[in-house]
Amino acid sequence: MIELRNVKKKFGNNEVLHDVSLKVNDGEVVVLLGPSGSGKTTFLRCINFLERADSGKLNFEGKEIDLKKARKKQILEIRRNSAFVFQNYGLFNNKTALQNVMEGLTAVQKKSKEEARKIALDTLDWVGLKDKADFFPSQLSGGQQQRVGIARAVALNPKVILFDEPTSALDPELVGETLAVIKKVAKKGITMIIVTHEMSFAQDVADKVVFMDGGVVVEEGSPDEVFYKPKEERTKKFLARILHQDMYYI
Amino acid sequence: MGSYFSSERFLERIGQILPYLVVNLKMVFWSMLFGTILAIGLAILRLKKIPVIEQILVVFISYMRGTPLLVQMCIAYYGIPIVFGNLFMSLFGINLNRLDSIIFVSIAFILNETAFLGEIFRSSILAVPVVQTEAGLTVGMTRLQTLFRIVLPQAIHVAIPHYGVDLIGVFHNTSIAFTLGVLEMMARAKTLGQASGHTIEGFVVVAIIYIIISLILKGLFCLLEKKLNTERR
Repeated sequence: MIELRNVKKKFGNNEVLHDVSLKVNDGEVVVLLGPSGSGKTTFLRCINFLERADSGKLNFEGKEIDLKKARKKQILEIRRNSAFVFQNYGLFNNKTALQNVMEGLTAVQKKSKEEARKIALDTLDWVGLKDKADFFPSQLSGGQQQRVGIARAVALNPKVILFDEPTSALDPELVGETLAVIKKVAKKGITMIIVTHEMSFAQDVADKVVFMDGGVVVEEGSPDEVFYKPKEERTKKFLARILHQDMYYI
Repeated sequence: MGSYFSSERFLERIGQILPYLVVNLKMVFWSMLFGTILAIGLAILRLKKIPVIEQILVVFISYMRGTPLLVQMCIAYYGIPIVFGNLFMSLFGINLNRLDSIIFVSIAFILNETAFLGEIFRSSILAVPVVQTEAGLTVGMTRLQTLFRIVLPQAIHVAIPHYGVDLIGVFHNTSIAFTLGVLEMMARAKTLGQASGHTIEGFVVVAIIYIIISLILKGLFCLLEKKLNTERR
């Protein structure tokens, strides 16, 4: 279980997170929604300390950590039990797809090269990219790169995977293959927190939807509750705008 | 006109000047060796942005990059014995005034290179996208692991061409060491010219040697770059 309480974060005078709390049970898929600038990404980055929150508490598997005062060792432990999928893929440019997936297994988890190789190949096969194992990121399409990114995350066997707008940088035609892989991860029962703008995907995959705006959680609930029976005015407005936009593109 | 340039003298000069190439290459070797080591330290220190130290380094770099090398050499040559003369005399019994001028020239080169290479290394590290570091950290690597396994291998790619250009620049700059009495190719060409009254052949020989060695160095760096690029693809 992961629980975040009263997370606050300022960039200069700009208060990005204004007291955000979130509870995620094991195996749960939580989708964070909201207009840009609402603090979703910052919140996600605070969880594994890519961004240092100004205050707040994190309870990870029963261990309580102060987000502001966390020690190096605690941060490392969180990072070693979680994985992150970046908006712009974040693959290691100097390594092949296979090496990208192996890197954490050998350098961090200290697995033998053969074992790491086997796990990495299996995971790449699982995302449908076994034949691209020896390709460098620059030789892969955006969708393929992101699938390698997801394979890298899954191979580490983390307790939770954090997705930061995994399909926002992709061509529309490549979004489908990536979302399909994320759904596959969800079926595995791994806990996931996903920031996304893909509404139908969110409805499909989420156990819980959290709507954020202006650095606060406006509304949270099951996908049906939030999408079809939103209580808050801000949620309604946002959904109307987004759904309208979807219509427009169709 | 014929007496201004004779091919006989030209051929003779090659044999007289070429042995002194070793002196120039020696200066290049030592200044690049120590310059590189110090520059790595400088780049890391600057990236850490430690207050006070940061400002001192900025002033140092600005001085090294903002003043002519010849001026820096003169300051090293005349200044170091004045400032450290007594200290070295009492500690090691060395009279700095008696030391070969090549040592002071090399010190000037090393400090100059520290500044230039330091900035090359720093900017090369900064040229690696932040997400590479972040990705390393999220996989669970420590900062040091991320630096050595992910960031530096990519930064070297960026740095190699600049490093090559810089090295060739240093090689060219060794030609001004003769002004402080270092007996290298230029000094030899000049004294031979003065002794015989025929200056031009010597300097042409020096120019040709510089061109050939520069082309060889350039070729070596191109090969290195190519090798790194094929490794990547």
